[in-house]
Amino acid sequence: MSSTAAVPFWRAAGMTYITYSNICASLLRNCLKEPYKSDAASREKVHFAVSKWGNGKPEKPNISRLLVLKAVMPSECLHYLYF
Amino acid sequence: MAMAALRREGRRFLLPTASSAPTIAARSAISNEESCLFGVRSISTQIVRNRMKSVKNIQKITKAMKMVAASKLRGVQIRTEASRGVWQPFIALLGDSPSIDVKKNVIVTVSSDKGLCGGINSTSVKVSKALFKVYSGPEKEPKYVILGEKGKAQLVRDSKDHIMLSVSELQKNPVNYTQVSVLADDILKNVEFDALRVVYNKFRSIVLFIPTVSTILSPETIEKESEAGGSLGDLDLYEIEGGETKSEVLQNLTEFQFSCVMFNAVLENACSELGARMSAMDSSSRNAGEMLDRLTLAYNRTRQASITTELIEIISGASALEG
Repeated sequence: MSSTAAVPFWRAAGMTYITYSNICASLLRNCLKEPYKSDAASREKVHFAVSKWGNGKPEKPNISRLLVLKAVMPSECLHYLYF
Repeated sequence: MAMAALRREGRRFLLPTASSAPTIAARSAISNEESCLFGVRSISTQIVRNRMKSVKNIQKITKAMKMVAASKLRGVQIRTEASRGVWQPFIALLGDSPSIDVKKNVIVTVSSDKGLCGGINSTSVKVSKALFKVYSGPEKEPKYVILGEKGKAQLVRDSKDHIMLSVSELQKNPVNYTQVSVLADDILKNVEFDALRVVYNKFRSIVLFIPTVSTILSPETIEKESEAGGSLGDLDLYEIEGGETKSEVLQNLTEFQFSCVMFNAVLENACSELGARMSAMDSSSRNAGEMLDRLTLAYNRTRQASITTELIEIISGASALEG
């Protein structure tokens, strides 16, 4: 169970509310049973390319894919979410 | 007499090719004219025919694009209309204050990756540039964050020094909330702002798109404003549950508000793009049809004229022999 006391912890881990809620949503999607699970997983696909600009020029684009959610979630975070 | 001689000459010239390739005889009169290298007596219709063929192909392509846009539009439109419910609570709670004057403005321009969709990209770019002028002044310089290739291509020309981030390939998969929220997260982490102004085309109908600006304030700005009263003064009436302070709650709220507004903006813009593409492709296939009609008319006229000339030649030659 996530409690309100968890907030300072994920803030301290450098997460924003968006990341936090996405992780929660992804956990919830994983709780679904099969025909619905893969359907919900298709709504989890992330793909875009970001490039930062400096001196009027774009830097190399950074392509984000699905891995985002899983990658930012170390096991300690999971711990906070569950207990 | 001279004419008949010329004619015989021409036929003799043609003969070797006809004997070496018997199929040539089976070809139509027009193609026979085409292979006549010597003494071309009629205007070649080759160019017009090629032109007609290419116009026909273009028409096919634009028709297909229209169909694709129309079928995609239906799905996106439903999702767009559903997504409007996502940001409305935030407007009820925090209001939308485009006139607020702050130091660090960031303009988020939403545009499409692909072209051939009418004027929606240049509209959002135009609005963004206008906003840039409105919010720039001494000690404050707005910055751009651009979504989509087309908006980037237009803004690079004269304001490349003010671009902070550009995002593309957003529409490879159908737009979903997770994707947009991860993007919103990326923007929040990379950009310092007092107010974010999201510029996009709101979808009203297939032919009507309204350039729209949504303002998202930073938590500090909201706090300042609510202390000063005004439209945000009512915020203190809300009770906060749990042990969190107001600034913490506001920070979470603004982050969530930004991702929700972005989700709606991206969807609205995608929907407008498809609608605009549909009507653009519709008018271009109509134009191609008109062009094809004109070309066909010109082609037939030339063909008929050449037939008439030939007939006159034969008849006058025959009558010259008789007389």
